[in-house]
Amino acid sequence: MRKMAAVLLASTAAVLCGCHAYQRGEVSQPVPRPSAVLDFATLYGQNCAACHGPDGANGPATDLANPEYLALVDDAGLRKWIGGGMPGTQMPAFAKSSGGMLTDAQVNAIIAGMRKRWSRPGALEGAQPPPYAQTQTGDAKRGAQTYQARCAVCHKQTRDEITNPVYLALVSDQALRTMMIAGSPDIGQPDWRHDSADGKPATPLTDQDINDIIAYLDGLRNASPGFAGTAAEPQSGAPAR
Amino acid sequence: MPRVNGTGQRIYAWFERRLQLEGPVKEAALHPVPRNTASWWYVFGSAAFTLLFLQIITGILLALIYVPSAAHAWDSLNVLNHQVPLGWYIRALHGWGSNFMVAIVLIHMAQVFLFGAYKFPRELTWILGVFLLLMTLGMAFTGQVLRFDQDAYWGLGIGASIMGRVPFIGGGLVHLLLGGPIIAGATLSRFFTLHVFVIPGLLLLFALTHVWMVLKLGVNEWPMPGRVVRRATYVQEYNKLAHEDGIPFVPGAFWKDLVFSGAVIAAVAVCALIMGPFGPGGQPDPSIIQTVPKPDFFFLWIYAVLSYLPPALETPFILIAPIIGIAILLALPFYAAEGEKSWHRRPVAVLVVSFVAVAWGSFTQLGTVTPWSPHMSAWSADAIPAKFLRGASPLVRQGANVFQDKQCRNCHAVGGRGGQRGPALDDIATRMTPDELRFKVVTGGGNMPAFGKNLSPAEIEALVAFLDTLHPPNQRPAVNPVNEVYTSTHASGGEDVSAAPGAAR
Repeated sequence: MRKMAAVLLASTAAVLCGCHAYQRGEVSQPVPRPSAVLDFATLYGQNCAACHGPDGANGPATDLANPEYLALVDDAGLRKWIGGGMPGTQMPAFAKSSGGMLTDAQVNAIIAGMRKRWSRPGALEGAQPPPYAQTQTGDAKRGAQTYQARCAVCHKQTRDEITNPVYLALVSDQALRTMMIAGSPDIGQPDWRHDSADGKPATPLTDQDINDIIAYLDGLRNASPGFAGTAAEPQSGAPAR
Repeated sequence: MPRVNGTGQRIYAWFERRLQLEGPVKEAALHPVPRNTASWWYVFGSAAFTLLFLQIITGILLALIYVPSAAHAWDSLNVLNHQVPLGWYIRALHGWGSNFMVAIVLIHMAQVFLFGAYKFPRELTWILGVFLLLMTLGMAFTGQVLRFDQDAYWGLGIGASIMGRVPFIGGGLVHLLLGGPIIAGATLSRFFTLHVFVIPGLLLLFALTHVWMVLKLGVNEWPMPGRVVRRATYVQEYNKLAHEDGIPFVPGAFWKDLVFSGAVIAAVAVCALIMGPFGPGGQPDPSIIQTVPKPDFFFLWIYAVLSYLPPALETPFILIAPIIGIAILLALPFYAAEGEKSWHRRPVAVLVVSFVAVAWGSFTQLGTVTPWSPHMSAWSADAIPAKFLRGASPLVRQGANVFQDKQCRNCHAVGGRGGQRGPALDDIATRMTPDELRFKVVTGGGNMPAFGKNLSPAEIEALVAFLDTLHPPNQRPAVNPVNEVYTSTHASGGEDVSAAPGAAR
C-alpha cells in the first residue's frame, strides 16, 4: 500500500514538473494594445507589406530594402512620408496626428527597423548623389533632350512606359526624383550613375539633369483622362513631344 | 463490504448505522438493466455528468484567483496565465472542459432523440435534459463573458442589444443584465454570480434529478423496429426485459461509462496541454477599434445566421425562433410519447437530426471564415503576390497601389488573401473587359459600392490597367467582340494596341 502511494506520488510529481517544463500550450504574452506594439516585423507586416512587399522589395510601391534609398533619405524625411503620407502618390498617412492608426513611437520603430534591417554602410560607395529634395525648377525642353539621351535607351515611349500620362499623374515629382537617384533594384531600375546601353559606365545624372527630366515628365501628366477609350490612346500624343 | 481490517470495518459500520446509505446505493448500482443497453452509444450522459464535476473543480480553483471586476478581470486572467504555477493549465482545462461539455451534451441529446428515449415514461427526464442543455449553453455564454477580453466585451454588447429588442421591457432587461445602462463594474459581478452560483446550482440540482430518474425509470432499452411503446404495457414489458435478459447496472453497463468518461477527461487534458487556454485576447476597451470580435464556437452559427438574415427579419428571428425551438423540444415527449423508438421506422427524426447537424455545421463553418465580413487590414497587410507584378508596366504597378490603398483588397482576395465579401480577382480579366471593369468600379452594382467619386480618373485607369493583367498566362483576357470586329476590319498593321490586348501583352 505504502509502495503504491509512493509510486503514485512520484508519478504525479513527474507529471506536474513535466507540465511546467512543457511550454507548448502556454500563452507566451498578454495581448498588447494595438498602440503598444513596437515590434518592427508586426508593424511592417500590418501596415507596409501590402504595397512595399513582404521583405521591403518586390511590391508595387517604392523598394524600401534598397540601401541606396535608405542612405539618401534621412529619418526626418521618412517620418514625414510615413506619418503624413506622400502627396501626389498612393502613400497614405499613418500617424494618428494625420488620421492614421500609428503613434509617433510606432512610426519611429518602423524607421529604426528599416534602417536596422536594410541599411548598408557605404551603400553609395563614397559617391555624392544629387540632393534628395529638389531645390530648383528644371527646363522641360532640355529635359526632353536629356530624356532621349539618357532614359529612352531603356524606356521606350509607349503607353506601357513611364511617359504614360496617367502613370505620371499618379507619381509625385519627389517619387520620380527618388527613383532616378536611388534606383530600384527589385525591378532593375539603375541609380543616377546608370550604365549606358553599350555597357560602359555613363556619366552620372546631375541635379540639373534630374530637374530637367522631371520638368519634362511633368508636362506629360494627364490627371483626368476621359473614360471612353482614351486609355488606349495616350501613346498617340506622347511620342510627338 | 470487503473486509479491510477490523478498525476500518468498525468505522464503516458506525457511519452506515447512521446514514443507512448501503441499501439505496446497492439498489441503484445493482438494479438490472436490459443487456443491450450496455452499449457504447449510452455513455454520453455519464460523460457530460463527469465533465460537470471537472468544471466545478477547475472552476473553484480559478475563482480563487479571478477578480470579477471590469478593471481587474483581464489582468487577473493574465496573472493566472503567466504567474500562477499551472494557472494556464487550469484555465485550459476549464475552457476545453466547457467545449467538450457543450459538444457531448449535444451528442447526448441527438442520441436520446434518435433512440426514442424521451418517450413514455421518460418525458420528464427529457424535459429536464432540455433545461440542462439551456443551462450548459448559459454557462458557456456567461463563462465567455467572464473571460473579459475584446470578444467578451463585444459579445456582451451584442447580447445586450438582443435583449434590448424585446418589446416594452427590453430596456429594463438590458439594465438587469448589465447592472446598469452600460457594460461596467456591476456587469461582471452579475455574470460572476450567474456563472458561479445561480446556474451551477440549478444545473447540479437538475442533473441530479435527471440521473435519479434514469436510475428509477431504468436505462432506455435498445430500440428494436416493431417494439412499440404503449403507456398501458411499457413498464411491464421493460421490467420483463430487464429481468429476463438483464445484467446488473454495475458493472455490466457501468464499466463502459467509466472508460468513456476517463477517455473524455484524458482528451480534455491533452487538448488543454497542447493547445493551451483560451485567451484572454485584447483588452476589453471600446476605444480599441482594431478588433474582430467573434463568439466561441457553439455560438458561431448564430453569428452566421444573423449576418445572413435580411435586417427586417432579425428581430423576429432573435425573439421568436428561440421560443419556438424550445417549445418544440419541450412538447416533443408529449406529442410522441408512444410509438416506434427505432430510427429504422422514424425517417422524419433521422432527417431532422441530419438537417440540424448539416445546418449547424455549415453555419459554424461560415461563422469561422466570415465571408460576409471585410478583412479590414488586408489593404495594408496582404502583399500583392510578386507573380502579378513581374514585368508589369509602371501604370500597372500604380494600379496595384491603388488597388491596395483604396482598400479593394478588403473585400476582394488576390492570391488567396484578402476579403471574401466580393469575388476573388485572380482571373478577373478573363471575365470582364477593361470597359466593363471601368464601369463596375465607377458605378458599383450588386453588393459593390460605386467608387466613381472616391477615385480620380487617373486612379481608375491605373486600377483597370492592373485588373486587366489578372488572368492566367495561358488564357487571353476578355475582349469586347464588337471592338475586335471593328479593329480587325479597320486597323492598319499592328500599330493599334487595342486590337488584341492579349496579344499586345
